[in-house]
Amino acid sequence: MLTRRQFLTRSLQGASLLSVGTVVPEFLVNTALAAEAGKDNILVVLEMAGGNDGLNTVIPHADDVYHKMRPTLRYTKDQVVKVDDSIGLHPSLRGLGGLLEKGQLAIVQGVGYPNPDRSHFESMDIWQSGEVGRKLSGTGWLARGVDNLKDGKGGIPAMQVGPEKLPLALQGASGGVLSFNNKHQYRLNLAGTEEGRVPARKKLLDDLARLEPGDKGGLQQFVQRRQLQTYSHLEKLEEILREGANNNEFEFIDGQFQRGFGLNSRLQLVARLITKGFGTRIFYVALDGFDTHSGQMEEHKKLLGLLDTAVTNFFNLLAPGGHDKRTVLMTFSEFGRRVGENGSKGTDHGSGSSLFVAGPAVKAGLVGKHPSLNDLDAGDLKFHTDFRRVYATLLDQWLGCDSKAVLGGEFEAMELLNGKA
Amino acid sequence: MPKAALPPLEKVDPNEAWKPWEPDNNQPWDLKWAGHLYRRAAFGAALPELHDAVKRGLPATLERLFQGQAPTNDNFADTRRTSGLNGGRNAFDLRGWWVYWMLKGAHPLREKLTLFWHNHFATSIVKVQKPRAMFEQNELMYRHAAGKFAPFLLAMSKDPAMLVWLDSNSNVKGKPNENFAREVMELFSLGVGNYTEKDVREAARAFTGWHTDGERFTFKQNLHDGDSKTVLGQSGNWNGDDVLRILLEQSAASRFLVRKFYRFYVSEEAPPDHFIQPLAEAFKKSDYDTAALLKTILQSRHFYSAYAYRQRIKSPVEYCLCAGHQVGQNLLTPRALVGRLEAMGQQLFAPPNVKGWEYGKSWLNTSTVLARHNFAQAITSGKTEINAEDPEARIAIAIDAAALVRKAQLTEPKPTVAFLLDTLVDGEVSPSAREKLIEYLADGKPEGDARDTRVREVVHAIMTMPEYQLN
Repeated sequence: MLTRRQFLTRSLQGASLLSVGTVVPEFLVNTALAAEAGKDNILVVLEMAGGNDGLNTVIPHADDVYHKMRPTLRYTKDQVVKVDDSIGLHPSLRGLGGLLEKGQLAIVQGVGYPNPDRSHFESMDIWQSGEVGRKLSGTGWLARGVDNLKDGKGGIPAMQVGPEKLPLALQGASGGVLSFNNKHQYRLNLAGTEEGRVPARKKLLDDLARLEPGDKGGLQQFVQRRQLQTYSHLEKLEEILREGANNNEFEFIDGQFQRGFGLNSRLQLVARLITKGFGTRIFYVALDGFDTHSGQMEEHKKLLGLLDTAVTNFFNLLAPGGHDKRTVLMTFSEFGRRVGENGSKGTDHGSGSSLFVAGPAVKAGLVGKHPSLNDLDAGDLKFHTDFRRVYATLLDQWLGCDSKAVLGGEFEAMELLNGKA
Repeated sequence: MPKAALPPLEKVDPNEAWKPWEPDNNQPWDLKWAGHLYRRAAFGAALPELHDAVKRGLPATLERLFQGQAPTNDNFADTRRTSGLNGGRNAFDLRGWWVYWMLKGAHPLREKLTLFWHNHFATSIVKVQKPRAMFEQNELMYRHAAGKFAPFLLAMSKDPAMLVWLDSNSNVKGKPNENFAREVMELFSLGVGNYTEKDVREAARAFTGWHTDGERFTFKQNLHDGDSKTVLGQSGNWNGDDVLRILLEQSAASRFLVRKFYRFYVSEEAPPDHFIQPLAEAFKKSDYDTAALLKTILQSRHFYSAYAYRQRIKSPVEYCLCAGHQVGQNLLTPRALVGRLEAMGQQLFAPPNVKGWEYGKSWLNTSTVLARHNFAQAITSGKTEINAEDPEARIAIAIDAAALVRKAQLTEPKPTVAFLLDTLVDGEVSPSAREKLIEYLADGKPEGDARDTRVREVVHAIMTMPEYQLN
């Protein structure tokens, strides 16, 4: 096995293929624009997959109906992290409570969309595409946002960090979207190459991925684009990872993360990429497991605890250079749960929920009323805020995109960010 | 003719397109189409086998694929079932077991169908936890793979792994859990838009009491809601069997299933409704006979056209197993592929969710592209690799791609590259790609070990080509 130093030397010898900024052939021109490194606002989207129980995240602890409908899953006034006299956060969310006190957490209530779909996939597709009630385009709202970013040059405008596949939210951008996880080596293995021939070998691979395809716009061209994108970004990432590892921020040895790569490590890496000015504007991370049909109490507590720790640490890491001020983190889940718990101490798929928007740039506090528990729609909370209003606000006011173009319509801005709207 | 030069499917007469293809001198049954058929119907084949298939002709080749063949490893006396019972103690072993049978088993076409069904009825060991239950589900799918869909759907609805996966034990009278009822409509039979939320709620009541003790199906009469339900317009004291019958009476069911077959066997590009209508009608009329449907597809004119050729992205299983067959599967330890498949995004017995793997473009991202490249490196290098994470497995990839060329006694660059391109990509690449590969192989006229190294590098390079990622 190569030592890190040997690996470095060898990588540098063959830098022709993997270096950034190689000339891209005309037919593969990548139209995505990325940020000027280190200067622009950053959006981190945190997916809570499975349908988070919004009612036990932002808790109407003073409401008798809540206690009646949740006989085994309820939390009392004394248990919650107090927000005001009627609302509190889940007891696991003490870190977020701290952010709220510092004026860095907005709690957006009653978020949803008309005629909610209770299928995980349909509803997740709706949230991720940002398309409601019309034929889905197969592209994500963030991907369209990537194509709409105005400023900057080079780099990787959007990145998914985690073992999952590229989420729909990031699918369909014309380029520059990278997904990154722990299990896979981040270098091309060309062991055994004849002495001195690594550059020639890399050039061959590069050439073969650049030849004009027979079917323009077809699958082959898609694959070519994906390959060249892969090659050009690897080296730059390696550099930042080496620095992070040398600082013991995470164990990253010989191209692999050592040990687990949970939400906390992922956000730690995102923080590293932000503070090092990697230039990525949009990061996407996910935490799975919120589909709590049975035995919800312990599982939900654990998941929210993970989220709380990871998000709190994340902003602490960003604070020293003031990078937290240019970073906003938004959570979402595909739907909430039914108001009444089911017979297995869990909750079934419901609609409407709450989400968090965090960072020093946000206008802190509760945004919108908690949906009434006395006025339900077939056992579900009624939403009052279309989730695309949140998207539109962040696209326009934070990322500098044109939300009308990205979302295919106009959505009223919300008071989410300081000094805006 | 490239696909772009063909009319859109909206303008194509499906009755003509689905007729059996009759090759002629202008459009012969040749290496290209044999390679295409073997990659889709099975997991690819070595060049000599493809040459045999060309000689044999299309009908006989199809016949052979549908019938299965003798196991390729003479030393292996076990059956699929006994080897799984003996070897499938944990998730890793279970995956290794299935890769073995997909790669070396007697019936690759049926294994491929089983993979299709594994994605259709996507169930994950991550929640089910019991390897034995996942093994039994796999065996069940293998048994029904090419059979009629109605008894298959019923068996899957009572399969212990499925019952655990979709929370059936908490589905009881008065407190229905809708998980299974929803997925059986949304993902297993009808597709979104062909049922209402009310149908889901009513159907859930019909499945109340369909429980499992973890090993077998149990019906809990006292937890079953025996009252009247109305599902898709039909009212009665329905139980689960009735609901499944009602589902398959819907015309949406055959259309939904045929679309899934089309995407898996023909093309990623969704066809217009009218184009699959004849298949859907015949499928329903045949009592959902999977073998008949698949045969219609695999012998059709449409299948042997640019509408289908390289119109899919190889799944990780297809990528690894095709490569294995091409460079010498008899030297490959199936367990060695398990970790590689995961790195490429397809961990068997653990699809990401009940919808299965996304397939298509989502297979390729930075990390999976790299995983493919590095697998190609491993499988061509002739070096043995030990899996450090699983010392028990002690697995090796000991294939030397240079041996292929030595065996074929080729020395000149041009015929060598032609041979390798035939082996790996049906010989179908642009002249400029061919030129680049010949140049690379010839550069400096390497001899002996240096030439072997160079050959391995060329094989690796072909396996990284965009064309090679396609199926």
